[in-house]
Amino acid sequence: MKKRVLRNKLLTGVIFLLLVSMVLSGCGGQSGSQPAEPASGQSSAPAEAPSNYPARAMEFVAPAGAGGGWDLTIRTVGRILQETGIVEVPMPVTNREGGGGGVNLAYMQEKAGSDDYIAVYSPPLLLINLNGSTQLSYENTTPLARLITDYQAFMVGQNSQYSNIHEVMEALKADPKSVKVAGTSAAGSMDHIAFLIIAKEAGVENLSEIDYIAFQDGSSASQLMGGHVDLLSTSLSQVSGLIESGDLVVLAQTAPHRVGTGVMGEIPTCIEEGINATFENWRGLFGPPEMPGYAVDYWSEVLAEMVTTDEWQAALVSNGWDDAYLDAAGFKSFLEIANESYKMILDEIGMLAE
Amino acid sequence: MEALQHLIEGFGVALTPANLMWVTIGGLLGTIIGMLPGLGPATGVAVLLPLTYTMGPTAALITMCGVYYGAMFGGSRSSILINTPGDGAAIAATFDGYPMAQNGRAEAALAMSAIASFIGGIIAAIIMVFVAQPVARFGLRFGPAEYFLLMVFALSATASMSKGNLMKGFISLLVGLMVATVGIDAQSGVQRFTFGIMELQGGIDFLVVIIAMYALGEVFGTFQVIKEGKKKMQTKFGKIWITKDDWKKSWKPILRSTPIGFFVGALPGAGATMASLMAYNNEKQLSKNPDNFGKGDIVGLAAPEAANNAASVGALIPMMTLGIPGSGTTAVMMGALLMLGLQPGPMLFQQHPEVAWGLIASMFIGNIILAVINIPLAGVLVRLLAIPPRILYPVVMALAFVGTYAIAHTVISFYILVIFGLVGYFMHKAGIPTAPLILAVIVGNKMEQSFRQALTISNGSPAIFFKSSVAMVLIALTILSLLYPVVQSKLRARQMQKESEVAS
Repeated sequence: MKKRVLRNKLLTGVIFLLLVSMVLSGCGGQSGSQPAEPASGQSSAPAEAPSNYPARAMEFVAPAGAGGGWDLTIRTVGRILQETGIVEVPMPVTNREGGGGGVNLAYMQEKAGSDDYIAVYSPPLLLINLNGSTQLSYENTTPLARLITDYQAFMVGQNSQYSNIHEVMEALKADPKSVKVAGTSAAGSMDHIAFLIIAKEAGVENLSEIDYIAFQDGSSASQLMGGHVDLLSTSLSQVSGLIESGDLVVLAQTAPHRVGTGVMGEIPTCIEEGINATFENWRGLFGPPEMPGYAVDYWSEVLAEMVTTDEWQAALVSNGWDDAYLDAAGFKSFLEIANESYKMILDEIGMLAE
Repeated sequence: MEALQHLIEGFGVALTPANLMWVTIGGLLGTIIGMLPGLGPATGVAVLLPLTYTMGPTAALITMCGVYYGAMFGGSRSSILINTPGDGAAIAATFDGYPMAQNGRAEAALAMSAIASFIGGIIAAIIMVFVAQPVARFGLRFGPAEYFLLMVFALSATASMSKGNLMKGFISLLVGLMVATVGIDAQSGVQRFTFGIMELQGGIDFLVVIIAMYALGEVFGTFQVIKEGKKKMQTKFGKIWITKDDWKKSWKPILRSTPIGFFVGALPGAGATMASLMAYNNEKQLSKNPDNFGKGDIVGLAAPEAANNAASVGALIPMMTLGIPGSGTTAVMMGALLMLGLQPGPMLFQQHPEVAWGLIASMFIGNIILAVINIPLAGVLVRLLAIPPRILYPVVMALAFVGTYAIAHTVISFYILVIFGLVGYFMHKAGIPTAPLILAVIVGNKMEQSFRQALTISNGSPAIFFKSSVAMVLIALTILSLLYPVVQSKLRARQMQKESEVAS
């Protein structure tokens, strides 16, 4: 008898564990239980705007792991919409990683026509298409709004022989192998392209000869500090602590104007240094393809309202982001222009996919 | 001593009732999460993210660290009881922990794992108080060439994981290295072995391979035993504690493994899995009877357990002192800190000493609380062994699938899971050890990338691998580690010969 009681208790315990683990894994990602609709299939029924939209929880998606830039952006949006009461339904964040965002892009096609799915993306959305990682592009999404931009910065270690961006460019002109450029993203993605866009404008030829070294585990800053590489291309907000402490020295940033205060505000822009180019690490929100009109309108309004709140302005300051709000239409034409400019560079270094 | 004074202030922060509560809740949650296959500290911390917005930065960081240490304690519970590591860092605990449980010594194994974890964690926290900055600065001397050599050194542990048959160990290793090449190559942006499958672009997650090889492998393996009616269940349970003899054997290995774990953990991108395997390898080579390793030697459990907890403390160093996340878990924690408006990095100790030192103090408290939670908890958990296999194994199977989904959120990973489960089963049948394969999947990608990064930096000259003193030390260690077993067995053979000569 006693044994049976023990056994029952154990069974309950085991079932409890199973439930806990299901809940936990559920928190990481909502299961895609909705029947998959083929992207090219019949477009969804005429968009009848439900008067109470959104009635159900939204699915917010960061197409990469927790803790990264995408994750930080969309979680901040969700938090502020909730705190200010602009949106009242829950907006849990799912991290759907893989393929530099491509896995989520493919998943978004299955969600075509739905009104409860919003993902965050940045330049890699265009780059993974151009370099052939995926056939899908920004045209297979519904751009909702561009929200912020971060800028790329080029920095060296404390004891570097380079004290301004010109010296780096001159060295590269003399010998493209002389400066080892490091970044976090894979070759042909953001950190690499951002540097090449600037180098091209500075008159460096043989862009494909420049050595770019990817440290995908995020250790690139320590590699620079240890003197193992010569220059780091990364977004400014990622390393602000090391810049303030003086461990890293920023030679130039890619913004059209200076951003931030204190040490950060003293970083010259490339334009000031006579290199007439900018690079924006923009981040914006995207719905699935064929997102119903009422949902697009709703989120356009909501996001336009959000960017005017004090909470959002405070988040911009604390994260070192620049306000870059563009509405859906403006965002779309921006994407077209950005796509062309990335395309040109990838073509030049031979990484453009056919 | 300035550090001590700061630490005392830190205790003032960490010992407030609210923070004590958070570290306890975090620790308990972490222990449970750590036990479940696939759900490691990174997932645990990520799940907590929304909750931490409402807390202050100190409370948030302390809670997340509670989860982190908890998962380190919990990860090895399932290694010992059902041969299924909760995450990578707990693999080494299966080597001797599971055989101990099979020998009817599950209680001692669970107790030793908690004790070793506790000592490793506490000593690492003490080291951290004094040398966080110098260790972080020393870590900077590891460039790609040094990382490559470190990975090679880690792989030399294959020899000790091969249970006598080196050739089979190397086959396993090579298959693992091949698996590690799947995905987009970061240095060239080229896709390798992805067969047009988007989900493979990010590579094959080593956690899925671990779950497949161990959880599924264990289920497939025992299925046969159950069918033949040979599976024995443990129904009587003793007290969760170790014998004096166990302690006498283990205290030195624990003390030796802690610094290894701490230092390897503090290198960005090395991690607790490597630390625990290195500690295991090290003890096996120092042992007087290495043949007992893998058969339930308590030293083989104590060493990696101390090392992986020490590593989890060490892993916080690059994040806190440089603002560079050294592991998946610390990357998530750093994201949370950024969202709370804190910039981890060299200025953290000056700008927010209460956060930095509060966190360090919470390591001491967290480790004590976790040891207190874990001993009685083990008394409950050990009764898992009394669950009839027909109930236990379907549950393990379900957990394996749930855990896999939690890692990747894709259906493709289920196929990967099943394929590797079958591979693991047949390897087991053929007497090929699976641990080298898993080790290779874990370090293979980083090893290859480091190799190519180094050669890009040196414009193709291999001289870069012999340039620094760190590199030379690593080369020497690798050679020593490979030669030692050979020399040792030769010496033993000679001694035996002498003895037999004397006898005759």
